[in-house]
Amino acid sequence: MADRFKLSVKNLSKAFVTKKDDTLVIDDISMDVRENEFLVILGPGQCGKTVLLNMVAGLLKPTLGEIYMDGEKVSGLDKRVRMVFQKLALLPWLTVSKNVQIGMKYAKVPKEQRERVAQHYIDLVGLQGFERSYPHQLSGGMKQRVGIARAYASAPEVLLMDEPFGQLDAQTRYSMEDEILKIWDKDKRTILFVTNNIEEAVYLADRIVLLSKRPAKVKDVFDLTGLPRPRDNLSEEFLRIRQEIADQMDLDLGQ
Amino acid sequence: MNTNQEKLTKAIARERKHIKNKSRNLLFTSIISIVVLLALWELSVQLGWITTRFFCAPSEVLNALIEKLTNRAPDGATLPVHILSSMKISMIGFLMAVLIGTPLGLLMGWYKPVDKFIRPAFNLIRPIPAVGWIPLMIVLLGIGLAPKVFIVFLSAFVAVVLNSYAGIKLTNRAMINVSKTCGASNFTIFRRVGIPSAMPMVFTGWKVGLGLSWSTLVAAEMLASNDGLGYMILAGRQFMRVNLIMVGMLTIGVIGLILFALLNWLEK
Amino acid sequence: MKKHTFILRNFLLNLLSFLSLGLLVLLWIVGSSGEASILPSPYEVWTKFLALSEDPIAGMSMLGHSLQSLRRVFVGLLAATVVGIPLGTMIGWSERFRAIFQPVFEIIRPIPPLAWVPLISIWCGVFEFSKYILVFIGTFSAIVVNTYAGVNLANRDNIAVGRMFGARGVRLITDIVFPSALPSIMAGLKTALTTGWGVVLAAEMISANYGLGMLVTRGSDSNDIQLVLVAMLLIGLIGALMSTAFTILERRLSPWRTDLN
Repeated sequence: MADRFKLSVKNLSKAFVTKKDDTLVIDDISMDVRENEFLVILGPGQCGKTVLLNMVAGLLKPTLGEIYMDGEKVSGLDKRVRMVFQKLALLPWLTVSKNVQIGMKYAKVPKEQRERVAQHYIDLVGLQGFERSYPHQLSGGMKQRVGIARAYASAPEVLLMDEPFGQLDAQTRYSMEDEILKIWDKDKRTILFVTNNIEEAVYLADRIVLLSKRPAKVKDVFDLTGLPRPRDNLSEEFLRIRQEIADQMDLDLGQ
Repeated sequence: MNTNQEKLTKAIARERKHIKNKSRNLLFTSIISIVVLLALWELSVQLGWITTRFFCAPSEVLNALIEKLTNRAPDGATLPVHILSSMKISMIGFLMAVLIGTPLGLLMGWYKPVDKFIRPAFNLIRPIPAVGWIPLMIVLLGIGLAPKVFIVFLSAFVAVVLNSYAGIKLTNRAMINVSKTCGASNFTIFRRVGIPSAMPMVFTGWKVGLGLSWSTLVAAEMLASNDGLGYMILAGRQFMRVNLIMVGMLTIGVIGLILFALLNWLEK
Repeated sequence: MKKHTFILRNFLLNLLSFLSLGLLVLLWIVGSSGEASILPSPYEVWTKFLALSEDPIAGMSMLGHSLQSLRRVFVGLLAATVVGIPLGTMIGWSERFRAIFQPVFEIIRPIPPLAWVPLISIWCGVFEFSKYILVFIGTFSAIVVNTYAGVNLANRDNIAVGRMFGARGVRLITDIVFPSALPSIMAGLKTALTTGWGVVLAAEMISANYGLGMLVTRGSDSNDIQLVLVAMLLIGLIGALMSTAFTILERRLSPWRTDLN
C-alpha cells in the first residue's frame, strides 16, 4: 500500500508528557504524499501543525505511529528531508553563502562544488550580490529566500515548509508565494507546506489537508489539481473553494 | 480505534516512567558526587596520602569549627567575634553603596546633565580595583573602621551605579510617551514609570555589589586589620594552622551564601 | 532655530563633563596644598613618575612591573579559559555532567578568590605559581558560569537548524551551540579579565617581589604616597586599556553581532 507514495504518515500521535500531566497534540493522523506534490497542511493557529512537521523532519519523536518514505520506514533525521523554518532561523554568524552551504558541508560535499551549488540557488531565489552579507543586514523577505535556498541546496527529496511566510507583510507574502511556485516549477520536489492562512493554501496547493484544532486530527482533504495555475484569488472558483474550506475550519481560539 | 487509544495510554505511561527515572537518577548522581568527594578528601588525609601540614580532613575542619566558636587562640578572638566584626564593616559599606549608588545611577540614567557631570569622574575611578585604594585610604582616613568601610563601599558602589543606570535606560519609550501625553511632569514619569521598570536591574546591581563587597572585605582584612575573618585566615597562615584557614574559608563562603539568599528573599 | 538650540544644548552638556574633570583635579590640588597635607599634588606625582624611569625599584622599571603583573593575569586567565570553557560547555550541554559537577562547583564558588590566598601560599609557596593559581581561581567561575548559561540557553532554533542540516555530536557543539553561546561566553571573559586584574593586584599587595601591587605596598610601607599614587594611576590606566582592547577585539571577531554597537 504505502509504496505508491513518496511519503506516508501512519497513525501518528504525539503527546507532551511531564511528571504530572500530559497534553495530546497530534491525535492519530494518517496521510499520504505523492511524488513532487505540493501538499498544504492547513489548520488553525496553535493546533500542532509545527509539531507534526517536526516529527516528519525527525526533530521530534512521535509518541505513537510511523513515517514511511518510498515505502520504507524511517525514524529520526533523514538526509532526504529538509525544512524551511518558521522563525527564519538563519545562523547569524554565517554569511548568506555559508548559510546556504551548511547542509552540503555536513554531507562532506567538496568546497568548490558547494560554492557552485550555493550560488545556483542564491541566484534562483534572486539574492545575487548578497552572498557575503550577514542575516541581520537582510529584510524579512530576503531572509526567508535564504532559508528556501538553504533547504533546496542540500538536495532533499522532500521539503518541509513551516509557515515560511507567516511573519512577512501582505505584499511580500504574495510575491513570495509566486516565487515559491516558480522555484518549485523549475526544480520539482515534494513539498509539505504548513499554514494557517486559507487563501495561501488555496493559492499554492495541489491538495490541502485540513486539520482540526488541538488535538489535531485530519478533518478533510481537498483536491485542487483541477484548478489551473497561476490562480486568480478573485475568481469565482477560487472564492467558492475558499468558502467551502472556511466553513469547515475550526475557530482559532488561541488568537 | 479503541486499541489505538489503549496503545497511546501505554506509550504515555512508559514515557512518564522514563522521565521520572531520569530525574531520580540525576539527583542520585549529584548526591553520590558530593559524597565521593568528601570521602576521598577524608580518606586521603586519614590514610596519609597527603600530609596534614598542607591539608586537613573534613572531620578535622568540623572539630576546629566547634572549637573556634569559643577558643581565642591563636589569633586573639573567637569565631563569632570575627564574624561580627566582618559583618559590621561589610554591612555599613554595602548599605552606603546602595543608598548613594542607587539614586545616583537612576538620576544619571534619566537626566542627561547629571550623567555628563558624574560620568568622567566615575570612569576615572572605576578601573582601579577597590583593593588598590587601601594604602591611600589608610593614609587619608587613618587606621580603623573608616578605610575598610570605604573600600567595601567603593567595590559595591560601582556595580550598583552601573546596574541602576542600565536598568532605567531600559524604560519602555512608549510608556514614557503615553505618560507625557497624559500631562505628567518629567519627574513624575521618572518616579512612577522609570524607577519601577528599573527595579529588576537595580536588584541585580545590589546582588553583584553584595558579592563584590564581601570578597573585597576579606582582602581588606588581610591587608589592614587585627580582626575579622580575613585577618583570621591570614593568621592561620602565619601559625601554619590549615584547619583554621579552612574553617575561615568555609565561614566566609557560607555567610556569602546566606547574604545572597536574604537579598533574593527581599526581592520577592 | 531649533538646530541652533540643539547644538547649544550639546555644547553645554559636554562643558559639564570638562567641568566635572576640572573640579576633580582642583579638589586634588586643594587637598594636596598646604604644609600639613599628606596628599601629594598632581605635579609631584608626575615628577615621581618621571623619576621612577631613571631610578628603578627592585631593579625593574615601571614598564617592567606592569608587564610582570600583566603576565600573571594572562597566564592565569589563559589557564582558566582553557579549562573553564570546555567544562562550562559540558555542564551546559549534558544533564549527566551537570549532575556530577554542578553541586561541587556551587560549594566552592561562594568563597571569594582572595580568601584562597593563605591556603594557596601554604600549598604552592609565595611565588609565581601561587599567583597564577589565584588568578585561575578568581576567573574560573565567571568563565564557567557564563559558558554554562550561554550553552544552556543556546537558541533552540539554531540547534534545530544544525540537526536538520546534518550537524552531529561534537560538530553540533562546536559549529552551532558554541557560536550561539558566544555573547555570553565573551561577557564571562570580560568579567574574568576585570576580576583577574583585581586579584593579581591584591595578591601582589599581600606578598610579591615585583608587580604594580607590590609597588603600592612598597609605597605605603615607606610612606612614599607619590609612589602609591603613581602605581594606582597606572593600575587604573592599564585596567581601562585592557577593557577597551577587549571590546574592540570582540567587535572585530564577531562582525555579525548587532548588540555590540
